Amino acid sequence: MTSVTRLALALLALALALGVLGLAAGAQGLGLDWAADGALIADIRAPRTLGAFGVGALLGLAGAIAQGLFRNPLADPYLLGTAAGAGLGVVLVLAAGGMVGARFGVAALALQVGLVSAAFAGAVLGMLLTLALARGAGRPMVLLLAGVVVGVLLTALAELVLLFSPEALRGKQVFMLGGTGFLGWSSVATITVVLALALPLSMLLARVLDALVLGEASAASLGLPLPRLRLVLLLLMALATGCAVAQAGLVAFVGLVAPHLVRRWVTVAHGPLLVLSAATGGVLLLAADVVARVVIAPQELPVGLLTALLGGAFLLVLLRRAGATA
Amino acid sequence: MNVLLRAEGLVLELGARRVVDGVSLELRGGEWTALVGPNGAGKSSLLTLLAGLRRPAAGRITLLDRELDAWPLRARAAQLAWLAQQGAAEGEIAARDVVALGRLPRHGLLGAPDAADHAAIDAAMRETECSAFAARRLATLSGGERQRVLLARALAVEPRVLLLDEPGSFLDPPHQRTLLAGLVARARAGAAVLAVLHDLNAALAADRVLVLDAGRLVADAPPHDAAMRATLIEVFRHAFSIEPVAPAGGDGRTRWVALPSL
Amino acid sequence: MIARRVMRAALRVLSMLPMLSVLCTLLPAQAAPSASNAAPPSIRFVDDRGRNIVLAAPPARIVSLLPSLTETVCELGACDRLVGTDRFSNWPAAVRALPKLGGLEDAQVERIVALKPDLVLVANAPRLIERLEGLGVPVAMLIPDTFDDARRVAAVVAGALGDAAAGERLWQRTEARIAAAASRVPRALRGQRVYLEVASAPYAAGEASFVGAVLARLGLVNIVPASLGPFPRLNPEFVLRAQPDMIIATEGAVAEMPGRAGFGSLRALREGRACGIAPEPWDSLVRSGPRLADAAEVIVRCLERMAATAAR
Repeated sequence: MTSVTRLALALLALALALGVLGLAAGAQGLGLDWAADGALIADIRAPRTLGAFGVGALLGLAGAIAQGLFRNPLADPYLLGTAAGAGLGVVLVLAAGGMVGARFGVAALALQVGLVSAAFAGAVLGMLLTLALARGAGRPMVLLLAGVVVGVLLTALAELVLLFSPEALRGKQVFMLGGTGFLGWSSVATITVVLALALPLSMLLARVLDALVLGEASAASLGLPLPRLRLVLLLLMALATGCAVAQAGLVAFVGLVAPHLVRRWVTVAHGPLLVLSAATGGVLLLAADVVARVVIAPQELPVGLLTALLGGAFLLVLLRRAGATA
Repeated sequence: MNVLLRAEGLVLELGARRVVDGVSLELRGGEWTALVGPNGAGKSSLLTLLAGLRRPAAGRITLLDRELDAWPLRARAAQLAWLAQQGAAEGEIAARDVVALGRLPRHGLLGAPDAADHAAIDAAMRETECSAFAARRLATLSGGERQRVLLARALAVEPRVLLLDEPGSFLDPPHQRTLLAGLVARARAGAAVLAVLHDLNAALAADRVLVLDAGRLVADAPPHDAAMRATLIEVFRHAFSIEPVAPAGGDGRTRWVALPSL
Repeated sequence: MIARRVMRAALRVLSMLPMLSVLCTLLPAQAAPSASNAAPPSIRFVDDRGRNIVLAAPPARIVSLLPSLTETVCELGACDRLVGTDRFSNWPAAVRALPKLGGLEDAQVERIVALKPDLVLVANAPRLIERLEGLGVPVAMLIPDTFDDARRVAAVVAGALGDAAAGERLWQRTEARIAAAASRVPRALRGQRVYLEVASAPYAAGEASFVGAVLARLGLVNIVPASLGPFPRLNPEFVLRAQPDMIIATEGAVAEMPGRAGFGSLRALREGRACGIAPEPWDSLVRSGPRLADAAEVIVRCLERMAATAAR
C-alpha cells in the first residue's frame, strides 16, 4: 500500500469517526440517544456535521489551488478579495434589514436576498473585481497586489456601511468568526453540488499547477495557455471559497493548513494533492466543529475561533522547525 | 543538413535598452551549437525569443519552415524545448513528476501519459542520472541534482529543437561530461541543439560557436575558425588565450582550450 | 412524519433558486404545521415581515431572543410561558434562570428546537428565521425600532398571546407612568437641553430614538435633532458646541468623560449636572419596550437628586 493510499484511508476513517461524534455532539455534550433525540440528530446534527465536512473540503481545495497558483506556501483562499467581498455582502444585507434599511424601504428585499446569497455574490464579485483590476490572470504579482487593493477597499466600504448601521456590527462579527449553526439539509445540498463541480474540474487542471513548479516561463514553454488556465482555476477557487464563506462565515486557517498537512505526510503531484487537501480540510473543520460544540456545552464556541487558535499553533510549530534547521 | 530554426533580424528592447540587436542565425539538425558571450550580452534573452516566450520588436523566426507565431502552442511545445536557468523552479512535487511534465506537449493537459511517455521519462532520468532520487521532492535536492532533473524534463520532450540556458550550471565534471555527450548524441540523431555555456572549454568542443556581445552576433563559426577564436578573445577582453591541444589517448584531433591569462 | 420532513427539505432546496424564492414570499406562508386541520385556528397575527402567523392555540412555550420582547411578554403577564431567552435578557429576575440560547446572530438552533417551542420571537435574524422555519418552528419577526414601534409590537405580542386588548392596556399603563414621572420633573429643570450618550465614540440617542421619545415626554429637549437619525455617531465637537444643560450616560462613561479631550469645557460636567446610571437600571434606557416607563422613572429620580444638590 502506498503512503498515499494509507493517508486516504486514514482520512476516511477519521472522517467517519468524527461524523459519529458529530451526530453525538449536542447541547448536552456528547451523547447519542436515538430514542429521545432522533429528530434533533436527523434534522440538526446530521446536516450540520456533513455541512462542516463539506465546507472544510471546499476550503482545503481552494487553499491548495491558491498555494499552487501563487507558488506561495502562505497563500490562502481569502487572498483575492473573496473574504472582503463576502463581508461587504453580509454587512449590506444586515444593514438593509436594520433601521437604516427600514428608512430606505429595502428591508423586505434584504430578507429575500438573504445572507447566504449576499455573501456568495460578494465573494465572487470581489474576485471578479480583482481580476478586472489586474486585467486578467496573466501576471501573478499584479494579481496579488490587486487582491490586496480590492480587499482593503471592500473592507473600508463595509466599515462605512457599519458606521451608519451599527446594529449590523454583531452580525458581522459572528460572520467573521465563522460557525456551522445554521447549516441545514439545503445547505448540505448546495455544498455538495459546488464540491462535485469544483473538485473534478480543478483536478483536470491540476497539472497546470505542477507545470508552474518549473516557473512561469518554463510552464508556458510546455504549450500551456497560462493566462486562460489560471483564470479558470481562479474562478473555481472563487466558487469554492464563495460557497464555503456564504454557508459558514470566514473560517480561518483551514484552507491554509490543509495542503501543508498533506505535504507533511506524503509527496504528491497536484492532482492527488487537491483531493487530499479537500479531505484534510473537511476532517479539520469537522474536528474543530465537534470540539466547538462540546467543550463549553451548552454554550458553543465560534468554530473560526478554534481553527484560528489551532492554525496559529500549527504555524508556530512550523516556524520553530524552520528556525531550528536554519 | 536542414535548417530547423531560422531567425532573421531579431530585435528585443527592454525599456530603453536594445538587448538583442539585429541577430540572425540558423539552427540545423545534426549540429550542436554553443552560445557564448560576456555577462549581459543578451544570451538568455535571445533564447527566450527563439523559444517564442517573448515577442521581438522586429524580425521573424521560423520553426520547421513555419512562422513561430503560427504554430499552435502545444504542437510547438512538442517540437521545441527550452530549459531555463535554474532559479525559477521550486516546489514540493517529486522529481519524477517534474520530469513527466516534459511529456505534457505530447499527451496534453487532459490526456494521461502512456507507455511511450513513461519510457521517455525513464530514459531521460537514466541519462541525467537522477533515477536514484526520483521520489524525492524538488525542493530537497541539491543544486546539481535539481539541475539534472530539470534537464531531464527538457530532454523528455524529445524535441527537434533543444534550447538550453546554462545547462551545465551546478553540475560536477562527470555530469557535465554526460551532459555534453547527451547533447552530441541528440544532435547526431537529427535534432538541433543550442546551449548557452559559460564554460568556454565545453563551448569550444561544439560543432559551432555563436558569440554574442552587447546584443549583436559578432561571430558564427566552428571552433577551428581562427577569426572566430580571435573575436572570442576580443569580446572577453583578453581574459584568456585559446590554445590548441592534441590530448594524449584521444583520437588525434585538435581540441581547443581556453587558458586564463594570469 | 419522515415524508413531511423530506418534503420540507425539498422545498427549502427549491427556494434557493432566486426565481422560486420570490414566488415563495408571495405565497401565503404556513409557518406552523397544524397538528389538527379540523379545529379552526385560534391565534392569528401578522409579524413585521408581513407574514401571517397562525397558531392552533395560544402559545404555551415561548422563546424570546430579544430583551425588549422578553420584557414585553413578561409585562403582559405571560412570563411563566417563556422557556428560553437570549443571553442578554435579564429582567425580570425569574428570566435569569431560563436557558440562555445565544444572541440573535449566533443562536443555538439545536437547543431552541430541543425546547420544543410553539412560538419564537426574534428581531432581525434572517438566517436563524429561515433555519427555524425550515425545521417547522413558528417564528415571529418583530422589530421595535422606535417608540411607536414598541407600542405596535406590544399589541402584536399581546395578540399572539391570545389577548389583543392587553397590549393597548399595557401601553396605556406605560404612558401613564411616563406622564406621572414627567410631572415630578423639578420645575427648574423643565425644558433643559440634554445629551444622552449610549456608547463611547460617542454615539448619542437623538430625538428620533425610542429613549429620545421618553425624554421628550419628560419635557426635556434633545441636543441631537431628529434629522441626525436615532443613534448617530457624533463628532465630539458637536456636543461641546451644544453645551447641554445636562448629561445622561452610564456611570462608567460619566466618570471618564471629564478626561476626554475638550470635555472639560462642558459646564454640565463641571457643575455636576450629569446622571451616571448604574448598569442594571441602564438596561431600561436602551431597550425599546414597556420598561421605558422604568427608564423615565430612573431619569426623573436623577433629576430630582440634581435639583436637590443644586438647591443646597
